[in-house]
Amino acid sequence: MDGLERYRDIVPEFGSFLEAMSRSLPVTARINTLKTDRDRLIFRLTAAKVPCRPFSWYDLGLKLELEKPGNLIENLMGHIHVQEEISMVSPIVLDPKPEERVLDMCAAPGSKTTQIASMMENRGLLVANDPANTRVASLRSNCERAGAINVVVTRYDGRRFPSQKFDRVLVDAPCTGQGMARKDLSVLGRWSLKRSLGLQRLQRPLLKRAMELAKPGGTVVYSTCTFAPEENEAVVSWALDQVRRVRLEKVLVKGLESCPGLVEWNGSLFGDEMEKCARYYPHQNDTGGFFVAKLIKE
Amino acid sequence: MSQSSLKNRSPFQPLDWAEVVEMWESRFGIPLSIFEGASFYRKGRNVWIFSLPEIPDLRCESVGLRFMSVRGRVWKPTTYALQLFGHVATKNAVDLGPDQAEKFIAGERQSLEAELEDGYVVVSYQGEVLGCGLYSRGELVSQLPKERRIMKEGIENCLSSGGS
Ligand SMILES: C[S@@+](CC[C@H](N)C(=O)[O-])C[C@H]1O[C@@H](n2cnc3c(N)ncnc32)[C@H](O)[C@@H]1O
Repeated sequence: MDGLERYRDIVPEFGSFLEAMSRSLPVTARINTLKTDRDRLIFRLTAAKVPCRPFSWYDLGLKLELEKPGNLIENLMGHIHVQEEISMVSPIVLDPKPEERVLDMCAAPGSKTTQIASMMENRGLLVANDPANTRVASLRSNCERAGAINVVVTRYDGRRFPSQKFDRVLVDAPCTGQGMARKDLSVLGRWSLKRSLGLQRLQRPLLKRAMELAKPGGTVVYSTCTFAPEENEAVVSWALDQVRRVRLEKVLVKGLESCPGLVEWNGSLFGDEMEKCARYYPHQNDTGGFFVAKLIKE
Repeated sequence: MSQSSLKNRSPFQPLDWAEVVEMWESRFGIPLSIFEGASFYRKGRNVWIFSLPEIPDLRCESVGLRFMSVRGRVWKPTTYALQLFGHVATKNAVDLGPDQAEKFIAGERQSLEAELEDGYVVVSYQGEVLGCGLYSRGELVSQLPKERRIMKEGIENCLSSGGS
């Protein structure tokens, strides 16, 4: 459990946290409403004796008692998308509507893109951007399997995304991924303060650019799957200082337990409003770890 | 580069809506209304379907969903487009039984007696579209993309009757 000791004072019930981090993640998937609906899908899985249980907090999320959900024909047909439970939070907080213009700035491999496309009912415009050549292939393939016709894929560096206006922008930033340790333990060994600070140098201008691209009244959501405040609150509070007329809005997803964002860390003050961000720890909802901030442009 | 030049240089060339959807109507009996509001673009051999009347002023890698591919006069619907629109097909569509579906999913060919014209057909199982098949002289050949095939041993829920 390398690199987690530094969180002893900010994570409640630290012992349970460490214990949860050492267990593997439950297998979860999201129902793709572009191709099926919830009742129909659950009926099919039940008829096929695939043990599945809907999440308590999100009626399109399913826990599956199954080793290889990728081999379900429902996956082949794009009726489900295998996706970690907590990662379904960012699109829900983003709350995209059909007919809007939405940018997913760091989109590959497209779990959240396909979720957003289905929330938009395949209407409007969803730009799925990612500069990483190899990852764009899986982004495109996931969008096709999901049946998304409202997605265009672009490959800009998000920091220099062309000037266009969007109703909503998601920045699901590249991060040190500590929260994914339940899927891949090696992320913990690779963590270092230097890596967090290196990523911060990328995360800050990404979020700043996202704020610039939002229309007045528009929404920007910033999320990571790491615990490091350097990549979370320290990014959000910096960006708030850079772009005028942007305010934080409280992140609240009913049915999910979370902790407020940090007001300070190791001597850095982030400001009281940072409490409006949400930190999701693995032992709270039996998921991966996650951070979400919601910003509104005035 | 100015915005307009970006658009003019787009490799995605707009296609006539009616021309495209009429091909689907005549082959599959799919009502034109299901494509209302969408637009079609061609790049190389691929034709794409997109949700809006115009593509945005951006350098796009892809626009919407690959809808069909064209080689000379022959066109082939993609599995993904059929999974999205094939459920309303009224002809050249076939619903397979469990054993046949299993073969189809594994990417195999099989003999099949069905009321189909030779050419590309919509293949479904229990009323849900699996993808595109090629039917000719009593044989059905699966056209599922390789990465979407599932070998028989691997299929988890294939076939609800048996289930594994
Ligand atoms: C956490 S992953 C995104 C996961 C994705 N949102 C999903 O739900 O499937 C972060 C992504 O940011 C991308 N990225 C890295 N540098 C970037 C940049 N300068 N601009 C935009 N995206 C970038 C990476 O290629 C990576 O795919």
